[in-house]
Amino acid sequence: MRAVEAARGLLPVRRVVRIGVTGLARAGKTALLTSLAANLLAAGAGFPALPAFTERLAGRSFRAALAPSGSGELPRFDHHTHLAALADDPPHWPARTGAVSLLALDLTIGWRGYATPLPPRHIRLELLDYPGEWLLDLPLLTQNFDTWSAAALKRLDGRPEARDFLAFSHGLPATAPADEPLASAGHALYRATLERQRQAGLSMLQPGRFLMPAPGPQPPWLAFFPLTGSSPLAGLMEDRYDRYRTQVRADLVAPSFGQIDRLVVLADLLTALHAGPAAFADAAAALSDTARALHWQMRLPFLPDWMSGLAPLFGGIGRVAFAASKSDHVADRQRGNLANLTATLTATPHVESRAFAIASVRCTEDLVWTLDGRPISAVRGRVAGEARAGRSYPGEVPDRPPDAGFWQHPFLALPNFEPLRLTLAGRAGVPHIGLDALLTFLLEDLL
Amino acid sequence: MSETRVPPRFELEPGSITRLEPEQLPAIVLPSAGGPHTLGLALSGAGVLIAGLAVLDAGNFVADQFARSAVLGWATLGVAASGFGLIGAGAWRELRGLFGLRKVDKLRAALADPAQVRKAALDWLATLPEGAALSGAVAATNDPDAITALLRAGPAATLRARADALGRTAALQMFAAAAAVPSPALDGLIVAWRGARLVRQVAELHGMRPGTLGTVMLLRRVLTGAISVAATEMAANTVANAALSNPILGRLAGDVAGAGVAARRMVVLARATAAACSPLGTNGS
Ligand SMILES: Nc1nc2c(ncn2[C@@H]2O[C@H](COP(=O)(O)OP(=O)(O)OP(=O)(O)O)[C@@H](O)[C@H]2O)c(=O)[nH]1
Ligand SMILES: [Mg+2]
Repeated sequence: MRAVEAARGLLPVRRVVRIGVTGLARAGKTALLTSLAANLLAAGAGFPALPAFTERLAGRSFRAALAPSGSGELPRFDHHTHLAALADDPPHWPARTGAVSLLALDLTIGWRGYATPLPPRHIRLELLDYPGEWLLDLPLLTQNFDTWSAAALKRLDGRPEARDFLAFSHGLPATAPADEPLASAGHALYRATLERQRQAGLSMLQPGRFLMPAPGPQPPWLAFFPLTGSSPLAGLMEDRYDRYRTQVRADLVAPSFGQIDRLVVLADLLTALHAGPAAFADAAAALSDTARALHWQMRLPFLPDWMSGLAPLFGGIGRVAFAASKSDHVADRQRGNLANLTATLTATPHVESRAFAIASVRCTEDLVWTLDGRPISAVRGRVAGEARAGRSYPGEVPDRPPDAGFWQHPFLALPNFEPLRLTLAGRAGVPHIGLDALLTFLLEDLL
Repeated sequence: MSETRVPPRFELEPGSITRLEPEQLPAIVLPSAGGPHTLGLALSGAGVLIAGLAVLDAGNFVADQFARSAVLGWATLGVAASGFGLIGAGAWRELRGLFGLRKVDKLRAALADPAQVRKAALDWLATLPEGAALSGAVAATNDPDAITALLRAGPAATLRARADALGRTAALQMFAAAAAVPSPALDGLIVAWRGARLVRQVAELHGMRPGTLGTVMLLRRVLTGAISVAATEMAANTVANAALSNPILGRLAGDVAGAGVAARRMVVLARATAAACSPLGTNGS
């Protein structure tokens, strides 16, 4: 095995490892990519930014650099701007991502022992950053317009946010002409419905670009809405839907999701615990459906939820990390519970997988807080915009899927803590929790 | 989980606080100064005693001579002053050499800090002969990484090329010496002597004049800090190329056991020293 690796190392080839990061909007993808890049660069410069990773290297030389973008298609992930924003005083979180960009890192890993004089190995890590809303477009690839329309309309059925749109679509005659004014009116109503549903805390909102359109003027094919039947208008909608899918394929699948070999499934479980049983079920389904989709590696009609549609895309994935993000909002013992909870939601027998509780950008320190005469492990951070310290104990994190009893008690919303100060403006790394373990797991077989 | 629950809570502490810092500041991996060793303390004590007593003794002697005759007094004073003056000048040089190292550390820290990088870069360029050509470009650049890239492509690359040239010269001499030296025991001596000289040459190239003490410090730093980086990848190839591209040297290296290794060490040493002396550190390569 080592001999093979060594022989491969002698060839001037660069191993490309594509890591897919799935996560709905605000799950923490951009923060994860920024922190991962900063910490790898720092580790390459000799800072102890990723202890577990460095330990795994066991003394081999290690360097990291942002890969030159060459003449590639995709815009580069603007690492420096994101890092500078976090390092600023006061710090800023990354803005909502509005377009696709690629983070590429070149890792150079030397050898140890007698093999030291061999030329080092080169690994290129590629990760895609994209608007979380767009992730929900992936299932569209395996659904035709009729199937999708039926499913979308069924989801809207009886929802108060969809009243106007449903009234409009029920009012359409069966022979509605393919008129532009009709198309844009329906599209506007459908879009407004999605906006309202997002405000109501729902996340299953398709198509994603309606909520987060790509920058620039809007192409005509974007203006469609779910519609059943065989009217000329439905024909136009179908054409536009197909064009939309072509774009999804070009933007997300071709550059990354079509050929990833590792996967990180990010979920903001703590916020979901606060948002209540429905939102938690939503987030849990996102995790467990990915797990199941990976397990079967094929599309199964009886899988109820949208994630099952992703299965054929995840063909050659060797390793999957399920990660609960923003875990710096709870204390150490609770992070253990959070990782266990993630693990129980995501048992995948046939793929190498592991569950983590991570924080890409740490904002808090642990604290033992005496409440009602009892010591409670809580966290303490500086509240953004207040310049004062806040102590937070949002509630007990369950270590298995919460039962009805759990929902009797409130789980507090996550306060808006600001990130810890970055040493050397981030060149010494970004304080994190568990990122080194996650990375080591993902790359274990290559290290 | 079902024992008596403490209700969740969020509270603001009274009074404002400054930004929170990471628990342990990441250690910066420059070799640390550390406290003086016991031996160092004892040696310094001995040094002070010897020098101090010598000065006192000389003072007494001069006073005695004046008591004998003014001419004798002045002559003795002249001798004593020039003797101590020379010693002082030597010590001053040593100190300057040590300060040179300190300056590199400071410059390196400043270059790593985005807020200071431009000023530090301009300062450094001002000390280099060809620096002026680049300072316009640096002054016009805002992005810290672009500035480091400029420095890396410009002065750092030039300095490294020159350090390489010095290393190659030393390597050639090692080939020759290994062939000429009669006994292998002398080999080690020659390597050590040539190595120390090479370190000083490279340091001078970077605008430092390390004295004996400075050279020792520099050597220590070269060994602790940079050798692993320089030793593995680049230098081996360079030397292999150098040796193979010259048929005579190639043959020599084959004939004389150990000559190739010693020569290779010189190139590595030159690179590692350049890395230790350069404000850009090993990233300069
Ligand atoms: N405390 C804490 N908050 C985090 C962390 N990571 C992300 N957040 C919070 O989550 C928000 C969203 O993070 P992003 O990285 O922008 O999320 P995203 O997945 O890129 O979102 P979209 O770009 O909208 O898809 C941030 O603005 C932070 O407030 C973390 O590690 N710790
Ligand atoms: Mg984002």
